[in-house]
Amino acid sequence: MSNFRANVAMIRALVRRSSNELLRVPGAAIPGVLAPTIFFLGITSAFGGLTLLPGFTTSSYQSFVIPVSLMQGAAFTGAATGVNLARDIEQGWFDRLLASPAPRPVLLAGIVLSASLRSLIPATILLIIAFAIGAHWPGFLGLGIALVVVMGMATVAATWGTSLAFRFKSQSAAPLMQAGMLLFVFLTTAYAPLDLLTGWLQDVARINPVTQVVEAARQGFVGGVTWGDTWPGLVALAGLAVLLSAMALRGMRRMTA
Amino acid sequence: MAAIETEGLRRDFAGGIVAVDGVDLAVEEGEIYGFLGPNGAGKTTTVRMLVTLLRPTGGRATVAGYDVADQASDVRKSIGVALQEAALDPLMKGRELLQLQATLHGIRKARGDELADSLLDRVGLTKAADRRVGTYSGGMRRRLDLATALVHEPKVLFLDEPTTGLDPVSRQAVWQEVSDLNDEGTTVFLTTQYLEEADMLADRVGIISDGKLVAEGTPEALKAQVGKPHLELSLASADGVSVSSEGNDAEEDKAEEVLARFGKLLPPRDGKLLVEVAHGASDIAPVIRALDDSGLAVESLDLVEPSLDDVFVEKTGQHLEGDDDAVDGAAEPEPAAAE
Amino acid sequence: MSAFAADLRVISELGRRSIRQTIRRPQLSAPLIIFPTLLLAIQTGGAGRAVQLDGFPQVDSFLQFMLAGAMLQACMLAGNSGGIALAIDIEMGFTDRLLAAPISRFSIVLGRLAGTAMVGAFTAIWFLAIGLIFGVPISEGVLGVIWIIALVAATALAFGGIGAAIALRSGKASVVQGLFPLIFVILFLSTAFFPANLMLAPAADIAEYNPLSFVVEGLREPIVSAFSGPDSLKALASIGGLGAIGFVTSALALRGRVKRGG
Repeated sequence: MSNFRANVAMIRALVRRSSNELLRVPGAAIPGVLAPTIFFLGITSAFGGLTLLPGFTTSSYQSFVIPVSLMQGAAFTGAATGVNLARDIEQGWFDRLLASPAPRPVLLAGIVLSASLRSLIPATILLIIAFAIGAHWPGFLGLGIALVVVMGMATVAATWGTSLAFRFKSQSAAPLMQAGMLLFVFLTTAYAPLDLLTGWLQDVARINPVTQVVEAARQGFVGGVTWGDTWPGLVALAGLAVLLSAMALRGMRRMTA
Repeated sequence: MAAIETEGLRRDFAGGIVAVDGVDLAVEEGEIYGFLGPNGAGKTTTVRMLVTLLRPTGGRATVAGYDVADQASDVRKSIGVALQEAALDPLMKGRELLQLQATLHGIRKARGDELADSLLDRVGLTKAADRRVGTYSGGMRRRLDLATALVHEPKVLFLDEPTTGLDPVSRQAVWQEVSDLNDEGTTVFLTTQYLEEADMLADRVGIISDGKLVAEGTPEALKAQVGKPHLELSLASADGVSVSSEGNDAEEDKAEEVLARFGKLLPPRDGKLLVEVAHGASDIAPVIRALDDSGLAVESLDLVEPSLDDVFVEKTGQHLEGDDDAVDGAAEPEPAAAE
Repeated sequence: MSAFAADLRVISELGRRSIRQTIRRPQLSAPLIIFPTLLLAIQTGGAGRAVQLDGFPQVDSFLQFMLAGAMLQACMLAGNSGGIALAIDIEMGFTDRLLAAPISRFSIVLGRLAGTAMVGAFTAIWFLAIGLIFGVPISEGVLGVIWIIALVAATALAFGGIGAAIALRSGKASVVQGLFPLIFVILFLSTAFFPANLMLAPAADIAEYNPLSFVVEGLREPIVSAFSGPDSLKALASIGGLGAIGFVTSALALRGRVKRGG
């Protein structure tokens, strides 16, 4: 069997295996799947009045917050991937993979790809509810971009989670996996446009690459889709994914050092 | 070519801990090598280095002809590994696990499915194949773990404590499987805390203590090193009552004089006289005859042969924990009947 | 030693154990302080301009407004993590050992709650300190601070009771853990993060009657303006009500567990 075909088969097998977490213990996944929707409903109900501020870019706070909750769902999914990997390491399952001749990048791809596919589940639930309560329809292009960004963000969050799992080899690193990515997502234009953020958050959001990611996912919901609003987000995602994948791979190699 | 060969193999951990300290060993193709050591002796660290899960910090090791550090990928293709805490995903089904393992070894799906079927049959799990591993018993898990280690027909098989915690019947099943595999030509490197297991299965045994290999050889040779077989006997006095330890000194002196002709006398224990004999069982009849000739009647007599445990105690200064447990368990007083 | 004094010793010993557990299990204690603190930082930065909206109450800053909400959130998380710890005890069989001991059964729960109340008091001090560091004035001064710490400890106690009831009823840590999102649902449907008059319907209407709104207003008034008799009474009544629910349900759940034999 060619190497390429063998590698694809390995990735597919690993993705299938991690889908068990969802299909065979459905109860355990429910809080993680619903949390972004709950936050979405909560944030929009509580802070909906912010659209009344002069200079706010849309009149629908729901449409404004959708991309944030989408990113949050992706971040949760990625963190959960890290927690599951930490459990696999604790229980010795990961030794089985490490002792096999599967190339290391293939092992990482199997873990990360499953996170990126899985992130579409909380996203779908969120979008259905958001549209039901009156969020703007972003157009097919806008929706497509948002979903690509969700999968990209889940990839980034999963490489972050796996890096930490390799580093700490313990599920007790879970809060770090979750909080780290949530900070990345919320220290952006999550609650309000850049100009309306106060002091320090404005500065942080300006340099935080995830701000570009949120804005790329947001554009269809609050206005028209432009290439100019899209590419910075994609570049930011690619950059983060490459950086964190390298970190995760290094962590995996150190496991057997 | 040796299947496994190490030279000055060493592993340091942070804090100046030397877990493995210059181990040299050679396992020939087709051998079953039993690796013994108390907990913390460096047993698991050695195995993890040999299966490429840990890099040596000194010395070198080759497995199936490949260097574990520089040719890790080739080593992984040549070995099968069943590690101590049988790491099986409880959510997967037995068949799925074998299929995954086959895929990880780059085996095509159709072939992988075939292999899964035949391995499940081989380890007697065909009926349980489509049940989740979480529902398996300890023995079933070990057998499944063994099967996963075999999907790619490895040249060298590493088994880390394959029967720890198993009941005697399951243990027997695993032993049978290991011995069959070996008959088919697989080299087996086996760690265990059961001396009986090493005695039964291993062609040669290595004992590691404090990170160093302290003894190596066939079980017979090792046992011969620690001592010859000896006889333990007690005498019956003329009136048929056994001689107590403080008892009839004259009779005892006479007996010792006779016994000394057969071999070295050992200090008496629990009122019994001990004498080393050169040949074991064939010495029993002459000893009894000689004592009888001197007017001494033997009340009881045991032939005691050195065990691997004696070897272990002599080489490491401690008992092996698995056997220790068994002894402790047996020595424990029965709980009071009335409750 | 009288039975009552013996019970008190058990309660204080178990309370100390539960505080030690909180400190030694960072995965339980970290979310409890870190999560509300991060959310506080994000929300004050992200929604800080809200104070310019027409109809926003008179406050020094949005942070001053938010402190009470953060404390309430921490209390609920403390109750939740106390419940998780109790459920872990049940899963590991530690609770059975206590139930078999010759001590009043309810002191097992009270010990855990005493620990949760202490953790609550600590979170009050933590958020008041954050406020002071970032220049938030506490309108009612030292008296206000003492009042707030006491009120927050009582709130934590009440939520600890509810958490314990769920732990005793289910006996599973994962069930208690699963309530985590629910905490935020209830919080977002109160005035913890935003004034009711500026919230969107239907959340705004729910917030008007949510007992958590009463608790948070009782905590907020001494920070942003002045003690208010009616607000304080409503807060005390709500905490009392929540505490009573927690007490009764955990007593029932404990009895059920003992009856079922663990």
